[in-house]
Order: sequence, then C-alpha cells, then structure tokens
Amino acid sequence: MKGYAGKILRVNLSDGRMSKEEIPEEMMRKFLGGRGFAAKILWDEVSGVDPLSEGNKIVFSTGPLTGLPIPSSGKMVIASKSPLTGGYGDGNIGSMAAVHLRRAGYDVLIVEGKSERPCYIAIQDEKVEILDARDIWGKMSFEAQDSLEAKHGKNVGVLVIGPGGENIVRFATVMSQRGRAGGRPGMGAVMGSKNLKAIVVRGTGEIPVFDVERLREMGKEGYGEIKGKENYDFWIRQGTMQVFEWANENNCLPTSNFREGTFRFSKRLDGYALERLKVGRKGCPLCNMQCGNIIKDAENMNAELDYENVGMLGSNIGMDDLRKVGVLNRMADEYGLDTISLGSCLGFLMEASEKKLIEARIEWGDFDACQKAIEDIVKRRGLGEIIFEGVRKASERVGGDSQDWAMHVKGLEISAYDCHACPGMALSYGTSPIGAHHKDAWVISWEVSTDRFSYSKEKVEKIIELQRLRGGLFESMTTCRLPWIEVDFGLHWYPKYLEAARGVGISQEEISELGDRIYTLIRSYWVRESRSWSRKMDYPPSRWFEEPLNQGDLKGYKLDRARYDGMLSRYYEIRGWDEDGAPQKETLEGLGLGDVVSVLGENG
Amino acid sequence: MLSQSLGKMAEFRFLGYLGEIFGKKRVRISLESPMKLRDILEVEFPEDRSIVLINQRVGNFDSLIRNEDKVVIMPMISGG
Ligand code: SF4
Repeated sequence: MKGYAGKILRVNLSDGRMSKEEIPEEMMRKFLGGRGFAAKILWDEVSGVDPLSEGNKIVFSTGPLTGLPIPSSGKMVIASKSPLTGGYGDGNIGSMAAVHLRRAGYDVLIVEGKSERPCYIAIQDEKVEILDARDIWGKMSFEAQDSLEAKHGKNVGVLVIGPGGENIVRFATVMSQRGRAGGRPGMGAVMGSKNLKAIVVRGTGEIPVFDVERLREMGKEGYGEIKGKENYDFWIRQGTMQVFEWANENNCLPTSNFREGTFRFSKRLDGYALERLKVGRKGCPLCNMQCGNIIKDAENMNAELDYENVGMLGSNIGMDDLRKVGVLNRMADEYGLDTISLGSCLGFLMEASEKKLIEARIEWGDFDACQKAIEDIVKRRGLGEIIFEGVRKASERVGGDSQDWAMHVKGLEISAYDCHACPGMALSYGTSPIGAHHKDAWVISWEVSTDRFSYSKEKVEKIIELQRLRGGLFESMTTCRLPWIEVDFGLHWYPKYLEAARGVGISQEEISELGDRIYTLIRSYWVRESRSWSRKMDYPPSRWFEEPLNQGDLKGYKLDRARYDGMLSRYYEIRGWDEDGAPQKETLEGLGLGDVVSVLGENG
Repeated sequence: MLSQSLGKMAEFRFLGYLGEIFGKKRVRISLESPMKLRDILEVEFPEDRSIVLINQRVGNFDSLIRNEDKVVIMPMISGG
C-alpha cells in the first residue's frame, strides 16, 4: 500500500544483527501505523519479560501521515513494556527523527537486546551502524544533542536520553531538539537499560505517497485554515497555558498533591503571567501552531513551559513563581525526566514530609529543596532513593496511609487535572491504556459543559468516542491532535489526507473499529503481563473518593466509589470486556484478534 | 449607595480568547428586568465552542440573566 515505506528496521544491540522486514499489508489495514503497529509488535514479541531486561524491546513507530506536508505531522510513537507500570507504555514525540526515519525508508524501528557499552544507533538511509557513545554518556540531553549534531550535521533527527534514562529512573523520557519529550511511562529508562544513549537518523528519500499533488494542495489549505481560526492568535500567545486559568476556575487545577482544585496564587502562574515573561516559541516539525512557550527562567536561561508542567511543577507543589517553575522544568528536560511524574513525585515527597513519614524535610514550594531532590532522583540517592521508581513504589516504601494519596493509576502518575468533582475525567484516567494520562480522552471540557457531577452512560460513551479518535486514530496516523482539539481544525480533513497518502481513505466505522481493536489489544497486553490483574487496576486513588475538596466553590465535593464502579461496568460492557475488564472471546474475534484468544484463554 | 447598586448588578467574566472577543475579561451590568444572555452581550461568540456557567450551573446563550447572577463564559478547550 502507498503511504508507507513498508519496512521495519530491526536492530539487535546484543549481537549487532540488523534486518529490514516487510510490513504485511494486513497489518497496515488492521493497525494503521504508530500506536497500532507498536501495540501489535509488543503483543507478538514482548511477553513475560522484565521491562529492564535484555528481552524487552523498544519500538519507534510512525504512521502513514507522519512527515507529510500536512499540519503538525512531525510525530512518532515510542512504545515498550513499561518499567514504571509493568504494562503497555507509550508516548508520542515531535521530532525531526520521525520525518527522517520515514525519508530513510522505514516506518518502524525496533531496538532489542542490550549493548555491553554505551552506544547509539546511526541511520543514514540504507546504512545502519551501532556506534560508541562513551563520550556522550553522562551528558545532559541538550548537550548530547549538540555533540551528535556536531558530528553528524544539523540536518538529522535525534532521539536522546539524559542522565535520568541512563540511571534508569523509571519515569525517564526520550528527548529531542532540546525540549521535545515523549514516552512518559519510562521509555527513556528502557533505552538506558539497553545502554542506548541516542538514535540519529537522516533520510534523503521521498516518502511514497499515492497522490502527491493533491496532498500538497490539501496540506496548504489545512495550514491556511488553522491560521484563520478565531482562537489562533490567542493560541499562539498562550498555547496550552490558556488551560491554567480555566482549570483553576473549574476547580480542577492540581494543588498540593491533588488535595485541592484551586490555587491561591494561580494568577502568578497562568497564561497571562506567562505572556509577560515570554520571549519565544518552539515546537515540533511541520507545525504552524507551535505550542512550546519559552521564557527566561529564574536562572536567566531559556525554559519551555506548557500547562501540564506548570500545573504539576507549580500549583501541585506550591511553587508560585513561574520563573522558578521554568528552572525545574528545564532541569527535567535536561536530565530527561517526565515533568508530570516529577511534579507528582515532588508533591508526594512534600506530603510525606509534612506527615513525617520520611525523615528528610521538603516543604511545599521550597525551590532549593526541589532542585536538590531532582538531582537526588537522577543520582538515586537520599530522597531520590525513595521516589525514583515513581509514587506507587514510593508509597510501598514509606507506608502509612500514603497509598491513598500516591496519585497514579496503574503506576503512571496522574497528569494535571484534579478529579474530585469530575467523575468522567476520573474514568478517563482510570481507563487510559498507559495508566493515568490525559492524552486519550480529555473529557473535562465536555463534562463541565453538560452535567458535570453525573455518572451517566453518556459520559462513558463520550470517553470511548474520544479514545477512538485521540487514542486510536491520531496516535496511529501519526499526527498531533492539537490542531483539531485546540483550534477546531476540521476533523474531516484526516480521512482525505489518508486517502491522498495511501490511496485508501477511512470511514467512520473503520475509525471506530481501529480504535476498539487497538484498545482491546492493549488491554489484552495488560491482562497478560500483569500477575494479578483485576478491575481495581482501573480505579483512581482513594484521595478523590475519601477526602473532599476543602477550598473553592466546590468545597465538599468528592467522587462516589459505587457510582464510579457503575460507570466502569458500563464502560466494560460497551467495550465487550468482562467484569474484571478483560476482553471477552467474542469481542476479540469480532475485532480480528483471534490470535489473542488462545493466549488470554490459557492465562485466564 | 454604591455598594448597594453594585450588589444588584449581574457579573460577567470571560476566560481565554472569549475575553478578547468581548473586549474585556470582566464586566458588571445592571439589568432592569431579566434578559437573555445573547441580548445582553451584543457580541457574537462561537456558541458551540463556549461553555456558559450561571451561578456554577450550566446555562446557554438563551438563558435569562438576572441581577446578582454570576456568569462565566469560557471556551470549550481541549487541554492538550
Ligand atoms: S501543536 Fe504543539 S505538540 Fe502539536 S505538533 Fe505543534 S508544537 Fe508539537
């Protein structure tokens, strides 16, 4: 099929073997690309292994729209068995590496095995080498990127880890272009465990496309439409930071480790505060609505801010100075740590310190202590020893009632929306296929605009609809969802883009089926890999059920456990999963996942 | 007295780019009788992409607004 290079590049770091494999057309039809391909590959190839062992694999996967001249298409998915959660993990990243990989003639790169020494993979079209990385091992992600560009030229795509990934901090991410990050559930730690510092890729070919002329024309129109949108200018000014004021107003801004949904000093951190400090913007390739806001941070260095990191490294830890938040965020980017998990980990430590569950003192909003804690996390010493495996593991270490306020689902720290008064968003976190993340179904806005406090069937259906589009279609095409969701770029463009790229479009039914297939396969992966799978894995933390909000207009609100459970059952019902959330035989067969039945059946 | 007349006004707040469309982020208006939100504002909003909260409850541009109501109009954003 057109639209694909049609090839998987496989590199084994243990023995240096490399191969180029055809992607069967059936796989393209059934899984589309990106996340779909990654889920299929991990299901087929990575079973029962320790995520940090040689047996794990890491998949860099593009889709049929990646790298094409259409809005915000410079994205790829990085997936692996997660060392943070023990289940399926992935994240998307905007990087020239995505574009170059496609131009080099590959849709997917699979890295397996483990190198004896620090290494990196250099791909130049047909030529693939495993090179010595000892001189860049230990370097910060920005500096390592610079060194690799000095060696290979600026016209390359680079994916790199920082010291966080090298030291196998479980929430280490993969970095690119000094600020792009991806792979929250420890994809950087998987690279580190393989002694793989970086991937450098340069492709000089053309991405095969069914109708280049039409694609170019429609791409141009698409870029134009985005620029003409009513809220485009405001988006350019604030990007995702416009959410800050919104979240505070709606009592869902994470504050004091998700105890509250409003922050007393929110005006010091919101999108308008950002505008006063902003010195520039950056973002992913092929995007004309770049959303990385650059400010001069408290150390007078450039730092990039978006809503998630200001929510988690700001209000969630009582940090009320945007320039200080900038420093913490820059440190996370340089070390290659996930900013969301980092904010949650710092909040956890602060609460543990307040409750005297740990000896060390770390106060809310203590900037110096936070900086030191980040260094300790990367070096896995002091406070870092408690928290480097994320809040779930930390709560096992510190004990007390900390499991109730270790803010995660399935081991992945919750991103920046408090759900005391948002049952739908809580379910969205509960059922997100990588653990608590907002990427798949950000239902809050819709929820607030309808019947916010209900646990209705409509909410469950809305979540599934969003999961199909955001988690299925966008993650697999693979392009950024923000043009559609943030500035209202027409969804109708995407089937047309797919048709011009592949010669085959996609119908509404096919989109739904694709999303359902991917979700059910990922869920099967969780069930297979978890030693003790149960529906409890889909529950958010007790804090939201037991401790009501103490401040703001929604004081007194908390979630109702029985009604949440009712929503979860409805969710399973629609998905065709059983009461424990495991896919049923008929569902698997109906989605063309017959091969999964025998495996799950054996285990079940 | 000023404080009394202020107490009798309806308050309107606009979040995000809707503040730019209206031209202000906050305004207080005294209403002689209940009026439809649409008729009070006299500015066209992207209604299908806006959320209207009246005293913390969901409303719409046809809702009747009375003095002392607190109205927040916010964009239907998508949060990344
Ligand atoms: S909108 Fe932001 S995240 Fe999406 S492609 Fe553009 S810069 Fe990247």
